[in-house]
Amino acid sequence: MTNPSSHAIRIALILILLSLATFPIYWMVVTSLTSSANLFADTPQMLPDPAQSFNYADTFKHTGVLVWLKNSAIVAIGTMVLSILLAILPAYALSRFKFRGKGGLGFVLFATQMLPEAMLVVPLYAIFTNLALLNTLGGLILANTAFTVPVITWILKGAIDGVPLEIEEAARVDGCSRLGIVLQVVVPVVAPTLAAASVIAFFHGWNEYVFAQTLVSSQELRTASVGLASFVGELSTPIHTVMAIGVMYTLPAVLFYLMVQRYVVAGMTAGSVKG
Amino acid sequence: MTGISRRTLLQAASGAAALNVTRSFAQTKETLTFAAGLFAEAGRGDKTRAWVDKFNKSQDRYAIEPVAIPFSKLADTVFTQMGGGGGPDLIRFDQTDFFAAVPAGRLFPVDDLLDLSKYKFQAADKFVKVDGKRIGIAFETANYAMLYNPALLKDGAPKDFDAFIAAAKEATGKGKFGYAYRATMPERAGFWFDLSNYVYGFGGQWGGNGEPTLNSPEVIEAITQYKRVYDLGVIPKGADAATYRRMFWEGKIAMNVDNGGVGGIFSAQAPDFKFDAAPSPFPNKAQGITLTMLAFNANSKKKAAAAAFIEWMLQPEPQAELQLLLGASNVATQIPRAEEELKKYPWVTAFDANTPNGQPFLVRSLESKTLDFQQVVCENVLRCLIGGETPKQVMADAQAQALSRILRR
Repeated sequence: MTNPSSHAIRIALILILLSLATFPIYWMVVTSLTSSANLFADTPQMLPDPAQSFNYADTFKHTGVLVWLKNSAIVAIGTMVLSILLAILPAYALSRFKFRGKGGLGFVLFATQMLPEAMLVVPLYAIFTNLALLNTLGGLILANTAFTVPVITWILKGAIDGVPLEIEEAARVDGCSRLGIVLQVVVPVVAPTLAAASVIAFFHGWNEYVFAQTLVSSQELRTASVGLASFVGELSTPIHTVMAIGVMYTLPAVLFYLMVQRYVVAGMTAGSVKG
Repeated sequence: MTGISRRTLLQAASGAAALNVTRSFAQTKETLTFAAGLFAEAGRGDKTRAWVDKFNKSQDRYAIEPVAIPFSKLADTVFTQMGGGGGPDLIRFDQTDFFAAVPAGRLFPVDDLLDLSKYKFQAADKFVKVDGKRIGIAFETANYAMLYNPALLKDGAPKDFDAFIAAAKEATGKGKFGYAYRATMPERAGFWFDLSNYVYGFGGQWGGNGEPTLNSPEVIEAITQYKRVYDLGVIPKGADAATYRRMFWEGKIAMNVDNGGVGGIFSAQAPDFKFDAAPSPFPNKAQGITLTMLAFNANSKKKAAAAAFIEWMLQPEPQAELQLLLGASNVATQIPRAEEELKKYPWVTAFDANTPNGQPFLVRSLESKTLDFQQVVCENVLRCLIGGETPKQVMADAQAQALSRILRR
């Protein structure tokens, strides 16, 4: 039986942590719905003022936020799909096959995570210029995928390690090819981990800024991260607009996470208990 | 082939070809990209885009596509693109970034694009020439003066530094602050500008004759006074410039040494807000000037289009329109202010009066190293503001670091 006082302390701790995590988002909503006069009031306004909802209407009317969000969604979903497609087979190979240089290959994949984007952006820009990939969302998807595939490969490898070989052998006895085993047997078993990996890839594509700012200059192809930053002016920043776009930028990502949250938790804990 | 017949494929191909032909007729204008932080500016950004659009409407062959890049990210983004062999065709550079790009050979001399001898340029034009070559056009120059809120200063604008300190103290309280400036690394460029105004105002320079002078008595005195203001509690510590400027036009800040463009922002964002401008309260009249240059990317092949835009923008009418939309700034050529503008913005005269005392925020005789100096100076001044070390000690360290890290001596 749980001690009621320790239960209450646990609940209180959870509430405090929850408040710390959600307060910035709440404050963003409040600021986006605060009048200019109250923005720097001596006593901060703690509740949103619905009468200021015209800030959102103005933002929709005067900025390209919908186009930016659409571009971000294309880049994030593209990065997610391509990363998963490209990571499954190497993850399976690293998990199941024995070959020369396997350790080295795994290390190289791991080492790519140690290189910051800013270091690679100049050579990447030159390569993209030659391949006519500048100013394309496809180019952005490729650049982001290059960064997410290694980490997803490692995550999937860990999950595939936990899949019993007997299942694969049974499939092979039934005449299934190696590719069929991967796609029809292994992938369904590691589906929760795939969901967790998808979230990582999606959020990388959704939040990414350096590539999006450098590799795309066309206003129509801007992602939301770049569009949002473009309001930070040399002399002034329209705080209401930035906060309203901030809310719109955060919401789709939060909704996506809520949709797949169940699988993510299952994926995170997959393989933690063996036997 | 299964599914798609050869005929369908041919029809699709000819359709695509037809579309391509149509598109090539529709896109006869050669488009130049023009990157600037200004396009992202609330108030001035839209007006500048509208100004650029006038060029687009006046042209059959060329068009400008504005590219808004946040001011703080412009240099990093554009230098990265230039390093990769591309980048925008035209760039509005801040003075420090401009002088960093010149020795790297990233900018194409404007002299080689078109003949500019017929234009009467402003005095600040001399700063865009390097080794006798004109590398850019002075797109905007803005003098510095003290903006103040008369409602918060009962004795009006302070005439000297002690009066300024007293007025700042008196105006502080009940959610209001006497003064505002920058003192954080995320706003390194602005921090450098604000520090430089103190240094120039107390008779100092960051360098001269090829030597840094970071530990000169004048610079140490300036940093001492900067710290004095910081320690007084009269500034909204941590507020970035965009925030405290907004606080200013909402009546929360009494004084702010800033450039004329900021006055323009106040007028645009809060037309009913009453403010004025006066000379900065430092012992010397010398103050910085914000100098932004229009430069042409050496990687670009669109020389004729760039020449057409520069030729257009230097005409009296576009220059006058640009000057009006920029606020209390000057443009490349000498354009007298209209009576209407002076009547509408009387505070402009305080900024214009300081033109003879303006100097760029550059390390004299070591201009191309200014960005490196910025880093060293700001890091060390922060040690004194936050870490509690003495101005004399931190500026001695800054001098030593400048000699070893920047000049490799």
